[in-house]
Amino acid sequence: MLTVSWFVFVLLAVLTLGGALGVVLTRNVVHAALALLLSLLATAGVYLVLFAEFLALVQVLIYGGAVTIVVVFALMLTRGGDYPRISDNKQWPLAAAAAVGLLAVLVPAFLINTPEDTQAQSPAFSELANSLFTRWAIPFEIASLVLLVALVGAIIIARSGRDEG
Amino acid sequence: MDWAWLIPVFCFAAAPVIVVAGRFLPGKGASLSVLAIAGGFAMFWVVLAGFLGAGPASNDCFTSVDTRALTCAFSLSWFQAGDVQFFWGIVIDPLAVVMLGLVTFVALLVQIYSLGYMHGDPRFGWYFAVHSLFAAAMLTLVLADNFLLLYVAWELVGICSYLLIGFWHERPAAKEAAKKAFIVTRIGDVGLLVGILLLWREVGSFSMADAFDAARTGAMSEGVATAAALLLFLGAMGKSAQVPFHVWLPDAMEGPTPVSALIHAATMVVAGVYLVARAFPIFQAYDADPLLVVAIVGLVTALMAASIALAATDLKRILAYSTISHLGLMMLSLGAFGYTAAVFHLLAHGFAKALLFLAAGSVLHSTGEQDIRRMGGLRRVMPLTALVFSVGALSLGGIPILAGYWSKEEVLAAVGYHRNAAFLVFALLASFLSALYMARAMFAAFFGATKPGLEQVRDAPALMAWPMVLLAVLAAGFGWVSFNWPGAYDGLGTFLFFGQAHGFKFTWWLGILSAILAIIAFALAVLVYVRGADFHHAARARFALVIRVVENKYYFDEVYQWTVDRVVLAFSGLVALFDRAVVNDLAVNGPAHFIRRLGFALRLHVTGHVYSYALGMALGTVGLAIFWWLRST
Amino acid sequence: MPSLFHFQLLSAALFVIGMYGVLSRRSAVLIVMSIELMLNAVNINLIAAASHLNGIGGFIRFDGHVIAIFVITIAAAELGLALAIILRIYRNRQTVNVDEIDLMRG
Repeated sequence: MLTVSWFVFVLLAVLTLGGALGVVLTRNVVHAALALLLSLLATAGVYLVLFAEFLALVQVLIYGGAVTIVVVFALMLTRGGDYPRISDNKQWPLAAAAAVGLLAVLVPAFLINTPEDTQAQSPAFSELANSLFTRWAIPFEIASLVLLVALVGAIIIARSGRDEG
Repeated sequence: MDWAWLIPVFCFAAAPVIVVAGRFLPGKGASLSVLAIAGGFAMFWVVLAGFLGAGPASNDCFTSVDTRALTCAFSLSWFQAGDVQFFWGIVIDPLAVVMLGLVTFVALLVQIYSLGYMHGDPRFGWYFAVHSLFAAAMLTLVLADNFLLLYVAWELVGICSYLLIGFWHERPAAKEAAKKAFIVTRIGDVGLLVGILLLWREVGSFSMADAFDAARTGAMSEGVATAAALLLFLGAMGKSAQVPFHVWLPDAMEGPTPVSALIHAATMVVAGVYLVARAFPIFQAYDADPLLVVAIVGLVTALMAASIALAATDLKRILAYSTISHLGLMMLSLGAFGYTAAVFHLLAHGFAKALLFLAAGSVLHSTGEQDIRRMGGLRRVMPLTALVFSVGALSLGGIPILAGYWSKEEVLAAVGYHRNAAFLVFALLASFLSALYMARAMFAAFFGATKPGLEQVRDAPALMAWPMVLLAVLAAGFGWVSFNWPGAYDGLGTFLFFGQAHGFKFTWWLGILSAILAIIAFALAVLVYVRGADFHHAARARFALVIRVVENKYYFDEVYQWTVDRVVLAFSGLVALFDRAVVNDLAVNGPAHFIRRLGFALRLHVTGHVYSYALGMALGTVGLAIFWWLRST
Repeated sequence: MPSLFHFQLLSAALFVIGMYGVLSRRSAVLIVMSIELMLNAVNINLIAAASHLNGIGGFIRFDGHVIAIFVITIAAAELGLALAIILRIYRNRQTVNVDEIDLMRG
């Protein structure tokens, strides 16, 4: 059990980070989109290891399905596929330095502040639902409103209306 | 008498009204100006009557310890700066009264004369406006009871003289002359200002009475008193055209001739003499050392100017140098403790010189000629002008029973009593020279054969003639006021000073000597210019070098020009370089260029690229994280 | 059994990789994808903390899970808007490369 969960975690971590690295390093946009999909699905697996089944489900549905599809659509509509040889901009060394610097700050911070002997617990679905619709009811409603507004906004921005010059 | 302050106020009020509304007034506002000064002259009589009637018991009047004369003072709080209270104040004492009389009378006559002389000038109204301001400033100057007000009036006199000398500013010469007058007198004014500030620091107020008190009681140390007196005298030298500041006065001829009459007789140059007379207690304090300086400067000025006048050929310039010479005599008199003699000579000279200038203006007005070598025999075509000019010249030359004779004798007597023999000899020489050049001008211009082209000249119109006649009467008869007549009147000297017997003291041997000298001078002139005697050409040939130096006015202008060119301009160049290189480029443009370059440098970070900004955010986040982390541990 | 620290390590690594992508990529679409990676890193962190620390130090009732749901919601909204904007930019300027879009250059 112990070794199995470790094995699963390491495997999922490698897939997640590998996918992520694929997104940021590959020169082919289509490959990047596929690597993103890989990373997101592996993340869903990480959620399972953490006993967050509901979120894993949501992750697969939204990220694995909707987000990836939308991104591919965007690539298609912007002819990203026509110019698959993408490249990085000129400040990538600085970006790498900033990233390493942030990691160097974060890791010791976690190392110092995290309690050692804790066990992952699983929330019951009912418990999660209860919390979501009682204690977080108002943020939930606002989030739905935000989604609606974003939807309308996205349509208005992206459509080629008659008022367009 | 409480209303004496109205005298300058009339004229002060008239000036702006003429400028603004002159065109709607009769005579373009000239009538208003004449009315104002006439009102001032009328007020003078009221003040005189009030003053003579006032005793030490009246309100505001007291017998001054310093001048030992009845003094009436009225003052009004002006403003307060810190602990120092400033006053508008007037003081009426004998000196102020006689100056009021001189200024209002001469200004009135000159303005009436100007009605004729300036007729048809495009800036007729402006002329009278400045004239009014000029008179107002001078009247304020003589009435001021504190040095601050005196300084304000002093500068106002300076600016008015600038405006009037440069009245015909279309002429380059007039413009230059105006600037020269302003700048040269300004050098002296700096001394005056420093002197006033020194007195203020020492005494704690600008009041003249306080300063005199301090000088008398010893509250003011000897060094300060001497320094203050010399600084005040520097101002007086500038205004009264004493050597070496005399160069502006001859050039001031570029103004209209009535202006010259006003400047020379009443409003401008006598301000210096008045200042020394007014501040006499300071000059007199302790050992009266400053008075020796005054005497020497006066003597040198008198001799030098008289010699130049003898060589000059321009009628107005002769009169100008004559003024300088007589101012020198007044200063000499003051320097020889001859306070009353100086003021007496100031008045006598004022009337005579105003007369001479008005007469010269009349000649210029009629003939358009200023050079005496091209005049001659004018008495046949301009009899009235010739008559009044002769009266003025004889009076100033010191022919007995005319006013100038008595006043000159008084000056010589003062010098004889209080200074050593050398002073007296040179003073007699100056007196003789002044007679000689006046005689020369008079005989060369008005007597002898009539020069061709002058036959059709007409004499002055009535508007110009009457002022001259009035002045001629005074120039001839003014001397009689100095006598100690039987009765209540003790003579001008007693009135002016000391309040005790300081009356007219005629010194017989000096009086006879000066009369003989004057007669010799006139006789010589008659010989040369009327009889045609020719010995002066031989003299000219013999003393060619001296003559050349004198004709070039002792090269004062050349020396000043050289100084300005070499020293002042070089220094100015240095200052300009400093201004350009250090002040402008380094101090002003330097930061501007720095900010500009900084802006260009900073501009590079605003690339417009989103990822650049995002990098900034990321680095900032890392930095903040490190900061908080370091702080928490 | 991996502890909370390991999940946090994973989260941190994913986050900095995403950040690197945001900072170094030229294509706006790829930048948006990198942002998704960063959001996922945050979610992993949230869920790991919520699962491990339930009942410890005042953390109760798996609030981290709820917040993660909100993050996913907002991420979806943000993604939709971002891609709409990218489409509009592409239509106007025929490019989605952010280094060619410098209208705000100083």
